Amino acid sequence: MFAQFVGLLNVLKDQTGLAQLTGGNVVMMAVGAAMIYLALAKKYEPFLLIGIGFACIVANVPGSGLTQPGGLFHYAYQGVALLIVPPLIFLGVGAMTDFGPMIASPWLVILGAAAHLGIFVALIGAKLLGFTLPEAGAIGIIGGADGPMAIFVTMKLAPHLLPQISVAAYSYMALMPLIQPPVMKLLTTKKERDIIMDKPRQVTRLEKIAFPIIIAIVVNLFFPPIAPLITMLMLGNLFRECLLVDRLAKTAANEIMNVITIVLTVAIGSTMNAEQFLTLKTLEIVALGLVAFIFGTASGVVAAKIMNVVSGGKVNPLVGSAGIASVPIAARVSHMVGIRENPQVYLIMHAMGPNLAGVFGTAISGGILLALLGVK
Amino acid sequence: MPIQDNVNGALLISAIDFVLSFVIIGGIGVLLALFPLLNRLGKVDDETLKKSH
Repeated sequence: MFAQFVGLLNVLKDQTGLAQLTGGNVVMMAVGAAMIYLALAKKYEPFLLIGIGFACIVANVPGSGLTQPGGLFHYAYQGVALLIVPPLIFLGVGAMTDFGPMIASPWLVILGAAAHLGIFVALIGAKLLGFTLPEAGAIGIIGGADGPMAIFVTMKLAPHLLPQISVAAYSYMALMPLIQPPVMKLLTTKKERDIIMDKPRQVTRLEKIAFPIIIAIVVNLFFPPIAPLITMLMLGNLFRECLLVDRLAKTAANEIMNVITIVLTVAIGSTMNAEQFLTLKTLEIVALGLVAFIFGTASGVVAAKIMNVVSGGKVNPLVGSAGIASVPIAARVSHMVGIRENPQVYLIMHAMGPNLAGVFGTAISGGILLALLGVK
Repeated sequence: MPIQDNVNGALLISAIDFVLSFVIIGGIGVLLALFPLLNRLGKVDDETLKKSH
């Protein structure tokens, strides 16, 4: 009787997830819980980390079918895998973004390319660590500090690295106010940080309406690999700037963006299962991501210093670090470092130009990478 | 010629990508510098646009 009772209990146990629960699952559940803690207690990107952390916990409960075919998280991941989600994020970003500062200061857009040295340092570093070239390219794109672009390029080059790369990219973006200032201060003098830049010109409505149309044509013509992202960015921006379809612009910037954020975060979190995530490669990718952010910040500042010399002292080098993309976090960091140095140094509008150019810089670097590696 | 999957390949791809990024972003900068010329075509008034829908 007792043996039969124990036998039945064992049958019941085997039908739960308990039998398959591993130490790795427990570690990953702790990682998910830590993400939720950072979001709630430290306010680090709560819109992203709550969903990612929660899905990470659920993905490591062996009995859960949510991440298996037929489960909702699985289909959320399909939205990422089929590259539907990243372009929709760009639609929302376009509807939220005023590209006026970039149009007003065309000479500063070069910083959007200069601040991407980190991509290549990480790419070469990854290759030295034994990653394949497509994997190294996907890891390098972390240095572009652009979440949707990192996901887009990773899904094309090395989809199996999506959890590590997306977590590294979004985590470092959240940590930019801690990563960038020491590098910026190290590479600039007090005199340079005190430079007050001239007020940018006013951009007209006609220019703002023409911008998304012209850029969409240029990108589709010259960079087909990244056209889905930039085209949607420009469509969202056209909704915003034409002032006629306010409802569509608000829907793209709010409702669509919110829904897509939920889909994206559970998709990323659901890929963070212990088997895939708890590897040495994860640590290497996280380390390379940090290296990429530091070098990107440094190269942007150095390029801005050169521009300052060439322009006869008119460019505050602190705006250079904003070229790393991650709109508007990097521009805010430039502004905050400047204003702490001198309360009269208002860099936000000046830094937004390179910051927005950084979005294009990352897209162009990613597009060239895909083209060179023969990916369409 | 396909790029070789080794450190030389990584260096080559990085060099080409970095230089081309500068050229292309520079091109976008030049394009943006020409944007004020668009204003010669006329003026679009914000208030008129908002009222027209």
